[in-house]
Amino acid sequence: MTEEFLSEESIRRKVLIHRIRVHSLQIAIAVVLLVSWQVLTDHKVIDPFFFGKPSGVWHQLVVWFRHGTDVGSIWLNAWVTLEEATLGFAAGVILGIIFGVFLGRNRVAAEVFAPYIKVSNSIPRIVLGSIFIVWLGLGTLSKVALAFVLVFFPVFFNAFQGTREADKKLISNARLLGASKRQVTRKVVMPSALSWITASMHVSFGFALIGAIVGEFLGSQHGMGLIIATAQGTFNPNGVYAAMLIIAVMAVTAEWLITQLEDRLLNWRPTQVSGTDI
Amino acid sequence: MSKGLRVQFNDVSKRFRTPKGDWYQALSGLSFIVEPGQFVALVGPTGCGKSTALTLLAGLEEPSLGTISVDGIVVQDIDTSTGFVFQHDATFPWMNVKNNIAAGPKFRGVPESEYEQLTTRWIAKVGLSGFEKHFPHQLSGGMKKRVALAQCLINEPKLLLMDEPFSALDVQTRAIMTDELLALWESSGATVLFVTHDLEEAIALADRVIVLTAGPAQIKADFKINLPRPRKARDIRFTEEFLRIYQDIWSELRDEVDIAYQRQLLASNS
Repeated sequence: MTEEFLSEESIRRKVLIHRIRVHSLQIAIAVVLLVSWQVLTDHKVIDPFFFGKPSGVWHQLVVWFRHGTDVGSIWLNAWVTLEEATLGFAAGVILGIIFGVFLGRNRVAAEVFAPYIKVSNSIPRIVLGSIFIVWLGLGTLSKVALAFVLVFFPVFFNAFQGTREADKKLISNARLLGASKRQVTRKVVMPSALSWITASMHVSFGFALIGAIVGEFLGSQHGMGLIIATAQGTFNPNGVYAAMLIIAVMAVTAEWLITQLEDRLLNWRPTQVSGTDI
Repeated sequence: MSKGLRVQFNDVSKRFRTPKGDWYQALSGLSFIVEPGQFVALVGPTGCGKSTALTLLAGLEEPSLGTISVDGIVVQDIDTSTGFVFQHDATFPWMNVKNNIAAGPKFRGVPESEYEQLTTRWIAKVGLSGFEKHFPHQLSGGMKKRVALAQCLINEPKLLLMDEPFSALDVQTRAIMTDELLALWESSGATVLFVTHDLEEAIALADRVIVLTAGPAQIKADFKINLPRPRKARDIRFTEEFLRIYQDIWSELRDEVDIAYQRQLLASNS
């Protein structure tokens, strides 16, 4: 039995030790995976022609960044994909919120549109990519459209649900304090739906990237999807993995930005204390 | 000083659909009149429909039968001369203390120069100076209740409805809040309907205590409380006069509490 409370010093040390342990295990897993991949392909236990190998992926990245790809500089291609995904994401989020909040606040409209929304949500939307290419051509617009339809629905459903779940008591209170219907929507319903909306944004940036890349698969002049398709066509698995890595960096960065935005917008929420840090 | 409004319940009934699909009768032919500026406490056993009476009067719901009128005008929708303090916390969690208290004037389009001053005054009045930037989740239960009171009273309601506002507070905080409410009300002149199941609180605050029957609520008894004002709720409860009134009202209320309790037992057994 200890006689005194732990000092600040020793609490901090405990937290630090815990963190070091977690991070070193994380790094160890990556090292084991990469090294065994490399060793197994070096000794032809698995065939590098089909599975690529880490050193090959690294070499591919070096070539791309030094000399560019067959379809222009790697920066240009990454930028094209990012632009398509971001535009589709922005349009999907904005329209998703507008429609979600509108239908959430308007019972008759919600009931009228319900079957249409259900049907259009159950269509595998990725198929629309082919149609968008036919309609909008090989340029940016067809990819933006595909990213948009993938983003719109999750954001829409969350905004709708968040609006419906807004506390009835808070709405009554606002109305008694003199708020108009519009003010109730803007000052009460929107803020309370916000945590639902930001939750859907985390998932849907990934969808936007999928939309952009699949669109590029289907037909394009630039973009990471085209690079992957080219690598596939020349039996170059290292190229596929290298492109995946670049896309992953984009996704993680976007996720970080969305988390920053979320913390900004939801700064009124009590901070979540995580169990391991106390 | 705003003049209070006159409230008239005219044979008011209200029934709800229960989740099972049958009807639940909350009020049945309730009639009474509250004179302007009167502080009336509605007491009754749990589930007797006293909160329902307030939501109807506030215009949040409509009576199934009968009418309620305020200053002779039938209540059909929410009226902004009515203030409502809810049982549970209804402050806006995304607004800090200052914005919560300023919410009413902002909604009503009061110019910024005016509501800034007004808000500062009310923050001071309810003793929250220095907490302007705090969010509700950073406040104690008593402080949140002060925010709710200021948020409501800043609009100078001529009719103030309170639905067990202090029931979620601990006993000490509750006694303090009762006194603060008395001080704030005595300078306002508003008509007050205060729903509670706490008889002591009712007598300490009100000019008149209406005892309701176990639901559907009807009036069982109506008592005038002639304790002198200004009152100090914390001291008044030890006077002989207070105890005598308490016994009188309790003898009426007791039977209804028993009935409500027996019903609950039956309901939980079946």
